[in-house]
Amino acid sequence: MQRNLSHLIFWTTLTILGVALLAPLWMVIRGGFFVGGEFTLKYLAGVFQNPIYAEGLLNSLMIAVGTTALVTLISVPLAWLSNRFDFPGKKWVSGLVLVPMILPPFVGAIGFQQILGQYGALNALLGLGPIDWLGRGRYFGVILLQALSLYPILYLNVAAALANIDPAMEESAANLGCPPLKRFFRITLPLTMPGLFAGGTIVFIWSFTELGTPLIMNYMRCAPVQVFDALKEIGSNPFPYALVSVMLSVSILLYAASKLLFGRKAFAMQSKAATAATSTSVRGIKALLVLLPFVAVIGVALLPHAGVILTSFSEPGSWYQSVLPAKYSPANYVEALGHSMTVSSIRNSLLYSSMAVLLNIVIGIAIAFVVVRSEIRARGVLDALAMLPLAVPGLVMAFGYLAISSQFSNSDWVKESPFWQSVFDVRVNPTLFLVIAYAVRRLPYMVRSAAAGLQQTSVTFEESAANLGAGPFTTLRRITLPLILANLIAGALLAFAFSMLEVSDSLMLAQRMDFYPITKTIYELFQLIGTGKYLASAMGVWAMGFLTVTIVGASLILGKRLGTLFRV
Amino acid sequence: MAVSVHIDKLNKAFGSTRAVDDVSLRIEPGELFFLLGPSGCGKTTLLRCVAGFCIPDSGSIRIGDADISNLAPHERDTGMVFQSYALWPHMTVSENVAFGLELRKISASERKRRVAEALEMVRMADRAHYKPNELSGGQQQRVALARALVIRPQCLLLDEPLSNLDAKLRLEMRSEIRRICKQAGLTAIYVTHDQKESLSIADRLAILDKGLIQQCGKPQEVYLRPNSRFVANFIGETNFLEGTVRSASDGRLEIGTPIGNVVSTVQPPQPLRAGDPVTLSLRPETIRVGRPQAGAANVFDGAIHDTMYLGEVAQHQVTIAQGGVELKVFELHPKFVARDEHVEKAKAWFEPEDVVVLTK
Repeated sequence: MQRNLSHLIFWTTLTILGVALLAPLWMVIRGGFFVGGEFTLKYLAGVFQNPIYAEGLLNSLMIAVGTTALVTLISVPLAWLSNRFDFPGKKWVSGLVLVPMILPPFVGAIGFQQILGQYGALNALLGLGPIDWLGRGRYFGVILLQALSLYPILYLNVAAALANIDPAMEESAANLGCPPLKRFFRITLPLTMPGLFAGGTIVFIWSFTELGTPLIMNYMRCAPVQVFDALKEIGSNPFPYALVSVMLSVSILLYAASKLLFGRKAFAMQSKAATAATSTSVRGIKALLVLLPFVAVIGVALLPHAGVILTSFSEPGSWYQSVLPAKYSPANYVEALGHSMTVSSIRNSLLYSSMAVLLNIVIGIAIAFVVVRSEIRARGVLDALAMLPLAVPGLVMAFGYLAISSQFSNSDWVKESPFWQSVFDVRVNPTLFLVIAYAVRRLPYMVRSAAAGLQQTSVTFEESAANLGAGPFTTLRRITLPLILANLIAGALLAFAFSMLEVSDSLMLAQRMDFYPITKTIYELFQLIGTGKYLASAMGVWAMGFLTVTIVGASLILGKRLGTLFRV
Repeated sequence: MAVSVHIDKLNKAFGSTRAVDDVSLRIEPGELFFLLGPSGCGKTTLLRCVAGFCIPDSGSIRIGDADISNLAPHERDTGMVFQSYALWPHMTVSENVAFGLELRKISASERKRRVAEALEMVRMADRAHYKPNELSGGQQQRVALARALVIRPQCLLLDEPLSNLDAKLRLEMRSEIRRICKQAGLTAIYVTHDQKESLSIADRLAILDKGLIQQCGKPQEVYLRPNSRFVANFIGETNFLEGTVRSASDGRLEIGTPIGNVVSTVQPPQPLRAGDPVTLSLRPETIRVGRPQAGAANVFDGAIHDTMYLGEVAQHQVTIAQGGVELKVFELHPKFVARDEHVEKAKAWFEPEDVVVLTK
């Protein structure tokens, strides 16, 4: 690539990221630490002194610790089993094990409560009294639900890390007299650490700042819900800013720690494995024993989905203190899709998501190009910035955008012009901010997949085109893009799917009904007295179906490489 | 202290491919034994069977007096050097080397002494606290060797240990490996596809193809007296001539070939009679071009039609007048590089004791 052009792209993308990513973060920090232009730690201290905020933070931390621990317990054994053994049905279970990703946990929460709640299916099945399986204060329910939807992320990371280990690493330990269990703890596990920690970090950050699940589970004493409740005071109260700043710092510190502790280089395998990893083929009873954990995890993980589907088909009120709904009907779908909110919300989500993905594609390719193909020294900075959204909680970003919007809408030139109001004031029209928020949050997937494509494509293809007289844009259009098209499509599909079901930004930024995206509609429907959860479930099933189609599409295109998109 | 290794009627199949086909071998105590063959010949499978990473379908392996066939890899007490070295990246050099001793519950002080000794032996004492990826390929190779040696294994197993090194380092390391093995008095099995490596440092070697041992013996036996076309062709370079036995009498064979009658005094692998079809193998360096000695047996008229100068040696393509057969000839310290008319018409000749007669 020509030097001037790569510098131009570098500075342009850096500026875009500066405005769309760093500005909202700065707003959060400024709101929490600079009041009236003066730096102060008063509000930060206030967060910890205020018993309610302190409790909320502590609860959120406990949720994150619990979720991460549970996720580790679920995914490490599964990943290890799938790495070591070949068994009948492996192809199926290793696909099914990823299914929980297709449903945002907050939708699953509805189905979960139907099954495990005091008057739910499990108690009816066991014939027991009103035992609350979700635990006092719903703490365990929140953890379980989040763990069941987040474990695939860690599973993919650990599976990839295991697959990367040269089998000779363990063989040499065995050769020197190391028995199997010791081998796992002394050799395999330490070598898996980078993957485990990278995936674990994401799981921790996501569960630490998850808003939707506690909201639906009615677990109000955690930081994300407190921030959500404080939105109305965004202009006047610095405490929410300080609270969000604390969440931001915890997340970034953790992310940085994982990068520092397990830098890529330190653990990179020395050489290509000489022998291909051989998994032991098991049949009969042994195969069943290996299969069992998979089936158990999938079974439990799909409970929320099953609950949502059943709820969506049951007549309102007919699934109460019974194993299965008493009466089925498609009425919920008819009513949900006929509701004034839903049709417009599907349209809105499609619009926001496709615009966000378009932005993603353009910026993602540009960044990937600079990172992979240019020799600009600071390209590492750009790469790190593009990956930062993985470490920054969605809630924090949403809060930052909200702060920017409120800053704009308080200035006179916006107040006086309906046009500028519709651009900058989320209360009037959140389109601009939602599109930017969706795009920024999913940018890592796009950059990752484009960069992977470029790395696999030898630069000599481009050089030979240039040598024959093709300019940079002709080369891009005729040579590079066609070669990395599969990666781009897969990345775009994932970005699109996750944008369609984005929760934090949607709940916080969309404030007028005619601009609600799908997730906000599900949340609002859920709050309707009586038929609410049935309508919300019907919408949830629609969303599940939609996500399934896109993710299956992506995995068909990318095959086994799908996993690479979820690694830090 | 060194022990022998017995491999008895070992079989291993992967699907329909017979990777190891009824192999029996006896490796003597303290011997540096090579398994040599093209890729896919089964040599690595055989080695991995000894280490316990491959479970043979039938047959047994004994190290010393103990039958280890049914032991898990970690119970076998072999020391293996892997092709990829397999140094654990999360441990330092000395931690890597100390690992096996730790598992053998060697006391800390003894451990320290032996690690230092092993690193000294491979000349890596000054790198004890480095991480493996701070070392060059050759250094990693040495550490891998030290890690396998330090446990004083019953038998050292080396799986293409030099294949990832550059040519110069390979030369240096191969004599190093022999020195260390002999110094430690170890029985060692060394797998490679590099014939130079095996010819130069092996005590004995076995050539494998398609899971079968084709020939087993000392390097010079195998090189000078190959027992089949495959071995003759795999080790070194050679010229093949198809022919028929004309006469056979006490140690002297006369064979009719396209270039004329050839006399051989090499013992054939099996008794031959007139009329038997055979293949002759003539190493390029045994054929000479120029004026033959008086009374030489195998002298043929020919012409050098192409010469490739390689420094210490020149490689001539000589066309024999009768039959138009082309022979490859190596001339050490070449004098015929400055070609002239006189040289191009040359006689090619070779000794009867260099004509190897093959029946398969």
